[in-house]
Amino acid sequence: MSQAPLFSSAGELANLVVNSNLIDVAWANIPEIQIDPAAFPCSVEPMVDYSPTPNRTIVVFASSPNCTQYPLREGGDLVQSSLFQFLCPNECSSVSINKAALYLFTSLESQLHGLKTKLSEREGQLIITGHSLGGSVAALFTLYLLDSMDKKSKCRPICITFGSPLIGDFGLQHSQWNSFFLHVVSNKDPVPGLFLPSRRSPPTSSHSQTSVYKPFGTYLLCSEHGCACFDDPDLILKILTVASSEVSGELQVVDYGELLRKLKNKAIWKGPQLAGERSGNPFSDGIVMELKTIGIDTAKHNIDISEMEKEARSLTKNTKASEAKKLNNIKKAMAQLEWYKKKAEDEKKGYYDCFRNEEKTRHVKVQGLMAELTTYWEDMVAEAERKPQKEGKSFRTGWLFAGTTYRRMVEPLDIADFYKGGDGRDYINSKRSQHYKLLEQWYKEAAKPPTREDLDSKKKKVSVLLTEDSCFWAHVEEAILSCQSLTNANSTTEQRESSWGNLVMFGEYVMEQIENCAVSPEIFLSGSSFMTWWGEYKAYIHNFRNFYSSRLVEYMKRGSYNQYG
Amino acid sequence: MGETVGNLIGLNDEVIHPAATLAVEAHNSPSKQFLVKKIKIRHDLSSVVVLAFSGSMLPEDWFGQPPFGETEIDTGKFPSLTSLNDGGDAVVNGSFLRRFNDVLDKLSHAKELKAAIEKKKQVVFAGYSSGGPIAILATLYFLENQTLSPRCLTFGSPLVGDRIFGHALRREGWSDYFTHFVMKYDIIPRIMLSPSSTEHKQILNYFKSKFDKKNINPAPPSGFYHTVMGNASSVASYEACHLMGCRNPSLDIIKSFIKLSPYRPSGTYVFCTGNGNLVVVKNPNAVLQILIHCAELGESNTAEVEKRSLDEHSAYLSELKECLGMQAVVSLDGGPATATLNDLGLSPQAMLCLQAAEEFENRRSRNLEKIRKYLEKIEVELQMLRKYKENAQISRLGYYDSFKLQNEDDDFHANVSRLELAGIWDEIKEMLKEFELPDDFENKPEIIDLGTEYRRLVEPLDIANFYRHSKDKETGAYVIGGGPRPKRYRFIQRWLEHREKKPFGSRSESLFWAGVEQLGIDIKKKKNLQEIKDRIRQLERNMIAWIDVDKSLDKDVLLEKTTFVKWWRDLPRECNSESERIEKLIGEKAAGV
Repeated sequence: MSQAPLFSSAGELANLVVNSNLIDVAWANIPEIQIDPAAFPCSVEPMVDYSPTPNRTIVVFASSPNCTQYPLREGGDLVQSSLFQFLCPNECSSVSINKAALYLFTSLESQLHGLKTKLSEREGQLIITGHSLGGSVAALFTLYLLDSMDKKSKCRPICITFGSPLIGDFGLQHSQWNSFFLHVVSNKDPVPGLFLPSRRSPPTSSHSQTSVYKPFGTYLLCSEHGCACFDDPDLILKILTVASSEVSGELQVVDYGELLRKLKNKAIWKGPQLAGERSGNPFSDGIVMELKTIGIDTAKHNIDISEMEKEARSLTKNTKASEAKKLNNIKKAMAQLEWYKKKAEDEKKGYYDCFRNEEKTRHVKVQGLMAELTTYWEDMVAEAERKPQKEGKSFRTGWLFAGTTYRRMVEPLDIADFYKGGDGRDYINSKRSQHYKLLEQWYKEAAKPPTREDLDSKKKKVSVLLTEDSCFWAHVEEAILSCQSLTNANSTTEQRESSWGNLVMFGEYVMEQIENCAVSPEIFLSGSSFMTWWGEYKAYIHNFRNFYSSRLVEYMKRGSYNQYG
Repeated sequence: MGETVGNLIGLNDEVIHPAATLAVEAHNSPSKQFLVKKIKIRHDLSSVVVLAFSGSMLPEDWFGQPPFGETEIDTGKFPSLTSLNDGGDAVVNGSFLRRFNDVLDKLSHAKELKAAIEKKKQVVFAGYSSGGPIAILATLYFLENQTLSPRCLTFGSPLVGDRIFGHALRREGWSDYFTHFVMKYDIIPRIMLSPSSTEHKQILNYFKSKFDKKNINPAPPSGFYHTVMGNASSVASYEACHLMGCRNPSLDIIKSFIKLSPYRPSGTYVFCTGNGNLVVVKNPNAVLQILIHCAELGESNTAEVEKRSLDEHSAYLSELKECLGMQAVVSLDGGPATATLNDLGLSPQAMLCLQAAEEFENRRSRNLEKIRKYLEKIEVELQMLRKYKENAQISRLGYYDSFKLQNEDDDFHANVSRLELAGIWDEIKEMLKEFELPDDFENKPEIIDLGTEYRRLVEPLDIANFYRHSKDKETGAYVIGGGPRPKRYRFIQRWLEHREKKPFGSRSESLFWAGVEQLGIDIKKKKNLQEIKDRIRQLERNMIAWIDVDKSLDKDVLLEKTTFVKWWRDLPRECNSESERIEKLIGEKAAGV
């Protein structure tokens, strides 16, 4: 089947932006301030206009003129910052920020902290803007603000920068947050390209990082002839590189106000008539035109359009309709698995052991369901992991409940597969998949400690509960191995001692689970591995440690489990 | 080629020019609200009655509340002008709606109109300039009332309604009744795409003094072209972003910071190119793009184009006289042909927009094909569930309670079918919300019928699943406004109610079990007794009507072991209003099985 034609909307989006008054408003509010001679080679100052129009607040990071001229070449280093650690999805990675921007931001931090508190109480539109380094600080402040805002916040921010240099090494491309940033850049402006690898001066200190700057957000790239909006970071880097190689070495200040007026006029002109260059592929025709208006020649500058088209096409596949269908398929797979579990209980084995000892045909079917579910949840977890901490968290809360049910349902089957051959040892540390670990960790972070009433209501419906600890069966398997090690004639004394220690711990663990109503009563079904373990354990105690007892041993010997659930 | 405008819009060519003449005349006769004229068709000796409406150039008759003066339409008068999913009611220009309401009383009593209805003559509502919107609303009013099926012709009319307005017209199959003639540079058809401003007032004042004939040659305003066209251009770009499948997430954020005009074209557009050719376009997205792009500035200077944009508003009669005689008419639907578009002078970027508009329609057709393939699958699953329902009668439990218990293999298979069907209908629902299916999808009889059967058969299973897992504790009752009831059922119910012209919420037979379950819970909670009694009576009355009158509820709810019968028998007698009838029905059912 031939593929549906694809289009590039970079020109239309740019036209929408230019024709709206949004960026004019931002630019018109940026004044130049006098330099404070005591400050860093240049200075930046936040100024707030609370009600230019109803429901709108404007925050301007005004910068001194020499921000653009003097300090940037030396300020190009990337330095690690704990202040912006929240941009990383997890604690292990780090984030680096442009030294000059970070210095300015840090020097204003206490002031900005107060501003942040004030702004997060406001409603309506919030425009945060700045020129050159002022724009960099505006972007950092916007990130700082986004991290503190919650979903319910009635304040909608947008950050608009003019001719700002790149800010840091973090990508943000998989985050919703990047949609809040609009960077206006003229192809005559050398500042945005200052920190590109090709132009960077060697690091000035030994602490600087070797990692490279990455653009994030949408770039409105402009020339005298027109403009286009792109958000693909690689393409933006390329365009900035071309532009910066073509501007004269001397730093000149671009008047964005004048440029915007020209572009507004251009917007209702018919535009260049490019005769005889159309390929019939609307995507490449469109993008060639768009790049040309901002001074990029796709052939000369070696831009691979087919690669871009491929990427754009992969993005079109996820529509809301296909998402809805996917979600229902997952529900269907879960329903099938639940039914399998119910049937297994009817067989007096429990679904863990049913699956562990399953004959081929049914086994294969269940494995198909597991694979489908695992792929889905691995993707969800990976997506949550790519986002900044705060955003990732709010993304997770929507589905964490379903993800927990999935983990409790499917992980036991993975454990069964692992131990089934008889060679499996130590599942939790050697085999457990990362996505289970994260799902469990997130659940623990989100879960509230249960109240007395919760426990009471849990007791009533314990029969339909899933075992809470998805690794329960791994503990059971390890306990069986420990029993075997105790009775094995070849075991050393040390091995026996350690096995016995493990069993004592296991006994306490199980008892705790029972008291918290955290295990499903199916573990007590006659054919379950847990009951197998109990048989072996009981025999061992009877033969070798006749005086030993524990709460679990008492509980099991008395048959109290018959009343469980 | 070789077709005339009349062929393409389904109206005799001889009517168009006289209608335009009458429309211009009516516009300039503010003392009369409308003019009527009978036009004889030469070749078959039939006649057409044309009603043309007067206009007004007073700013308050164009823009009410700034910036765009829009208001939700009165769905009492125009019940179809609404979205059948979550899109809300259509939005129209409030000033035009008010002017229509002013003329409505006189219009519905017009004897010429009554005579035409009686003699089954073709009626045409026509309007020039601000008379156009009145003609459009009048046509719609009569289409809604089904008293006659009029045609609508407008000349240089401003835009009236929003996207939902146009969508509803196309859904009802009325779009082809509307034909709008627009000159290449005429400013008036574009003016509503820009917020009200001093420039607007200047333009209207200019025309007012021109039409009043007090001042034959008033000084034309200047400097308005950039404002109006700049704003119109952002609307076109915003729509183009959607047509082109813009994947940049900033689009939504940027959109939330700017206010664009809500108005969009609907109906068939005929563009007069100015050199004798006419271009007929039906694709509403293509119309919008042409409307803006063909009036863009080219080689000639701004002042010249600006003047032309005013002059052309008064040039319809002479232009039409010229081109209606010829057959140089081009229909754009079926793909933009470069050669024929040269007359409109579109840029390469504009051509891409048109291609995207066409591709959008193609995508909708492809989606429809995809859904057609699903229909077979839906039928297979429904067949399984019908059988399941039938088998469940044997146990006297009924399929609602069997499903709720989930004891047998069959219950499990029914659950898988339920989820399978939910996936398909949810996909359809999402496509509809994004306008990714043809506009008339929700009005297709076979879709409504299949959807209704799905709703009646499967929604009880969703309700059973809901109460089986006591989900009401987490989310509240199954049926509360915007509550847990899946939207797919709400939408499908709405399609049927719309077709039957019944009020929203009146076709809720598939919610029977939710009513029973929730009453059971509320009685246990000892809620307000009087309110509960009222609800029980209502449930009984509804039930009898559904079972006896329209047979939309199956009698298997009366099986002895069902939740309903057990619950109903336990009710204190004073709660019932229809106990005899229901007892009899239960008895009949028991005897019949």
